[in-house]
Amino acid sequence: MPHLSVNRSSKPNCRTVWLISVLVGLLAIHTYANDVLPVPQQVSLSANMDSQQLSISWLAGAATTFDLVILRTELDETVLSETVSVMVSQLSGRHEWNWTSVEPLECTSLSIKIRSREGQTTSEWSNTEILQGSDLPSEENFQIFPLDKVVPVGANTTFCCIMKEGNQFGKIRYGNTDLISTRLSRRSYATTVFNQGLSSSSGSNVICYDNTEQLITGVAVFVGYPPLPGDFVCETRDLTSTVCLWNERRDTNLYKSRGTRYTLNNRPCALEWSRNPQKEYRVANWEGKWTLVAVNALGQYSLTDSAKLSHRVNPVAPEHLTSVVHALNATVLWQLKYDGYYSLALVCQVELTSQGYKTKHTFTGVGLRSAVLPDLYPYEDYSVQVRCGAQQNFWKWGSWSETISFKTSSLVPESPDMWVWMNKDYTGQVMWKPLTRRQSRGLMTGYEVTLWSPEEHLQHTEIVPLDIFAVPINLTQIATVSSDNMVMATVTAKNTEGVSQPASVLIPLRLTDVDPLAVSRAVYTDQGFSLFWQSDANATFAYVVEWCNASCKWNCLVDWINVAPGNTNVSIESANFQPGVRYNISLYSSSSEAPELLQRWQGYMQELVPSSPVMSLLTTQQDSDILLSWEQIPLVSRRGFVLGYNIYMSSGSQFTLLANLSDPGSRSYKVKSMPEGSYKFTVKAYTSAGEDTGATASIMLEPFTDRLILEILASLGVTALFLVIVTFICYKKRQWVKKAFYPDIPEPKLPGDWSRSQAPLDVKPPHHSLVHMVERPEWDSSKEALVVIPEEDEDEDGQGIGEALADTDEPTSLRYYNQVVDERPIRPRYPDSSDSSASSLDSARTDVTYTGIQTSGSFVFQLDSHGSSEGHQPQADPSFCAGGGGGYRPQMQSRVVSDDTGPASPNPYPDPEAASGGGYKPQSSWQMDSPVEDGEGGSRAPSLGSPTSIASTQFLLPDGEEHTEEKRQPSSSAATWLTNLLSSTKP
Amino acid sequence: MADQEQQEHEEQSPALDSPVPGPTETGRAVSIARLLHYECGLLMQLYKEKESFLSSFSPGGGRMVSPSPVSLEEASGEQRVERLHAALRQCLGLLHCVLLKEEEEWGEQEEDYETLKKNVRVRLEHLLLCTRGLLEGPDTALEVTPDHQGTEEPDGARGVFGLKVWTYRVLLELHHWADYAAETLHIFHTERGGTADL
Repeated sequence: MPHLSVNRSSKPNCRTVWLISVLVGLLAIHTYANDVLPVPQQVSLSANMDSQQLSISWLAGAATTFDLVILRTELDETVLSETVSVMVSQLSGRHEWNWTSVEPLECTSLSIKIRSREGQTTSEWSNTEILQGSDLPSEENFQIFPLDKVVPVGANTTFCCIMKEGNQFGKIRYGNTDLISTRLSRRSYATTVFNQGLSSSSGSNVICYDNTEQLITGVAVFVGYPPLPGDFVCETRDLTSTVCLWNERRDTNLYKSRGTRYTLNNRPCALEWSRNPQKEYRVANWEGKWTLVAVNALGQYSLTDSAKLSHRVNPVAPEHLTSVVHALNATVLWQLKYDGYYSLALVCQVELTSQGYKTKHTFTGVGLRSAVLPDLYPYEDYSVQVRCGAQQNFWKWGSWSETISFKTSSLVPESPDMWVWMNKDYTGQVMWKPLTRRQSRGLMTGYEVTLWSPEEHLQHTEIVPLDIFAVPINLTQIATVSSDNMVMATVTAKNTEGVSQPASVLIPLRLTDVDPLAVSRAVYTDQGFSLFWQSDANATFAYVVEWCNASCKWNCLVDWINVAPGNTNVSIESANFQPGVRYNISLYSSSSEAPELLQRWQGYMQELVPSSPVMSLLTTQQDSDILLSWEQIPLVSRRGFVLGYNIYMSSGSQFTLLANLSDPGSRSYKVKSMPEGSYKFTVKAYTSAGEDTGATASIMLEPFTDRLILEILASLGVTALFLVIVTFICYKKRQWVKKAFYPDIPEPKLPGDWSRSQAPLDVKPPHHSLVHMVERPEWDSSKEALVVIPEEDEDEDGQGIGEALADTDEPTSLRYYNQVVDERPIRPRYPDSSDSSASSLDSARTDVTYTGIQTSGSFVFQLDSHGSSEGHQPQADPSFCAGGGGGYRPQMQSRVVSDDTGPASPNPYPDPEAASGGGYKPQSSWQMDSPVEDGEGGSRAPSLGSPTSIASTQFLLPDGEEHTEEKRQPSSSAATWLTNLLSSTKP
Repeated sequence: MADQEQQEHEEQSPALDSPVPGPTETGRAVSIARLLHYECGLLMQLYKEKESFLSSFSPGGGRMVSPSPVSLEEASGEQRVERLHAALRQCLGLLHCVLLKEEEEWGEQEEDYETLKKNVRVRLEHLLLCTRGLLEGPDTALEVTPDHQGTEEPDGARGVFGLKVWTYRVLLELHHWADYAAETLHIFHTERGGTADL
């Protein structure tokens, strides 16, 4: 602030002057500023409707910064308000600024005004310039913009629709999609499509509808890619001009008028439009360097190439091909199109096609115009085409010439490939393989088969038509069967040119039933049956490998191949190989001698499961075992190498694997220790492919009756042996037995003189000596009892009794039968009834014979002493004491003797010695409940006083035990027999 | 067989005495017209599938083909066929124009569409030859070349979209006149003694 001094006294109006000066200064500054920022003048607008770009230019002196405002005129909406820096164009001397509108510039009118700016200082606004839109009232039509625009994929495009005057806006659709629109003016509406995808080849439709959807207008928009050419290269074909080639690496999706345009070295390429991406353009001379520019509405792309002419020679196709043909070769000749080629070193390729197979032969030479094709087949159709390239600096092969065809001449046929199959009776067949077309080497007429016996000079020739390839032979008709003789079989083929060389096989006249070698297994692989064999290092002969179906035995249809000498392996493959068929493969030597079988294989192309199960499956019972046996599957049905058998036992639908027999030779299997019942067995053979359906057999396992019979017989034998041993022992020990069981009864020592009558005293028992059974109603039938046979009956029917007891040694005077069964424990034996003993002691001479003592075996010798003591000791009646526990009592003189004998044995337990002194051991199984009346018991008395032979015939049987007795009868008989035996041994 | 030959002889016999074509020619013309109508329908359907917006679009603008007005009630059969022939020539002119414009715009398009377009053109040319054969006499010489008299572009739509709408109108016009041809020729055929149930 300038220092300003004011003298108040001398100049009293100084402050006022200062203020005025300041204001004037400020005014001057403001006035100067307005003079420096000029208002833009002569604002000019230039619109590019396609690019939607607006160019604005104006005059504004040296100003460089401007404020620009763009408004939609009709609605006064600001489209742009921006401060920009714009320099003066050196060319026009004007400020120029470009602006690209989002909306098409036709959509509505735009107002543009500009002012200069420097810092915060701005000039006045320029006059407003208006870019007229198409929505002016003067243009009443229904319009839509932009028209047929081309945009890249992914672009966003804004469309606007100007409604027809008087119509209301409806909607804008892009394809099948309704878009959201904004209003730009009274009649103009805009919408934007984002991220556009490829359009159809005819363009995507953008359609504007009025509110009735009756009136529409639309445009198409093409969405594609900028050009992307590639593989650009230039070459020469005539050694003068240039041909440039390239391709479109990407379909731009823009066609025809919107398609890509090309320039080569800045000259437009007048290419006929095509959708083919391969492009080719010809230039009259060789420039050595080329630039290709590809342009479309979305962009451009350029490529370059450069080369010497000699490095880019691509010869045109040879012309006018001709041929000179022979049987085994041909010469092909051609012409070259351009004279320059005649001095050019060329490499040419001849492609030979025959029967679909193509081979290429290459030839070189300066100006090459012919080539000789060797190694052709006679009588063969060929076609030939030729192409060439520069031999030096080879660039690429030229185009193929036109194709010419020719046919080579005929020759005599090749020798047939023949073989002989011999049966084992000197018959067989000569076979040969039909000649192929190439082997025929001409038009075939037939075959000739000759059999010749060198020893006997016999020859047989047969002419065979073309369609026959095997002839049966019988060697016995040609030569005598002898081990030294041989027959040579020869086959020749004939065509129109002549006869082939003969093919022959020497056939020995000896039986060929040798199966000389172990048969190996041949494995089939992708290459067929792979065969290997050992070869003698000195062997010079070739081989023949022959194969046929192994199940064939007679005139088999065989196939064969020839193997060159020195080979030790070969793979055989045939279209006739079938799965599941076993093939015999034989290796023969092939020389001037007769073929010799060297090795044999068997194999399957593919093993299958057997087609039929094992044969004759049988089941046999062996005791408790079951033997399964079967026969092997026929060869034709095996369809594979049988690896073994699986044995199943089936119950219903379930199979239980019993065994896996891995031995293919197994023919039987034994199922052991099976209980009785019904069984079903299935035997399945298996190959590497699996097991067959199986053969099934059933069996009903019967009880083993033989064994039971054997067991019974063995038991009986053992029993008999035991009895024999017992008898033998008893016999040997009879003294001891007698002593133990039948001690000698001491003879009574009688005082006085007992004269004896000379005649034996035959004492018959009185009637009263019989035991009388007294019926007791209260008797318990379950208990034992004595059965009494009344003596009266015996008297009356004595004969009958005697018959019933046939084993009695002598007429029975008195017999005892003890049939009492004692259920009580067996007791030791005690002396007999004291009554009887006493009676015996008292008798002068008593000849007592006990016969027919019938008792149970155990009863006689094993009386229970305890039982006697316990059961009978308390009894008061002494007559019963001795027999306590016994089942019977010996018959006594009941009334007469009872009084005497009563006191004779007061002791119920007599001394055993005394008892033994009694002379015998009567059966003493007396039971307490024996039906004995006390009265009668009391009257019993032993018959003493006279020697008495007593025989008792009473049967002592319990009532109601008939049945039991019947059962026991055998044992009683045995006891009787034993007793008699012992008795008979008594000295 | 002999009866059939005799019948054919009887049918042809009036033609020998008169320039009026027999039922065989008219019948063939009817068949071709019907085939043309069928193929035009197919072509139109294919085009609507190609340009889906046409499925809900009914172009206005009236007939594109307008042969010389003849009172149909008073016209003879020959006059109706002659009017038909003129209309078909204009149709052929329009079709040629469509082929040309589409080729200029897009080049070769989808194969089935291009094939069907060419088939319709050939069929239409064949029908023109037939109708000319029906009418031709010693004093008449009808043209069978395209008549571009009716070629026009629709108002209100320019550019590619306008071409599409105009093409659709041409196809509609073809379909209409093919149908008219089949009907007119059938009437003419029956007037010439042909069977109605052809």
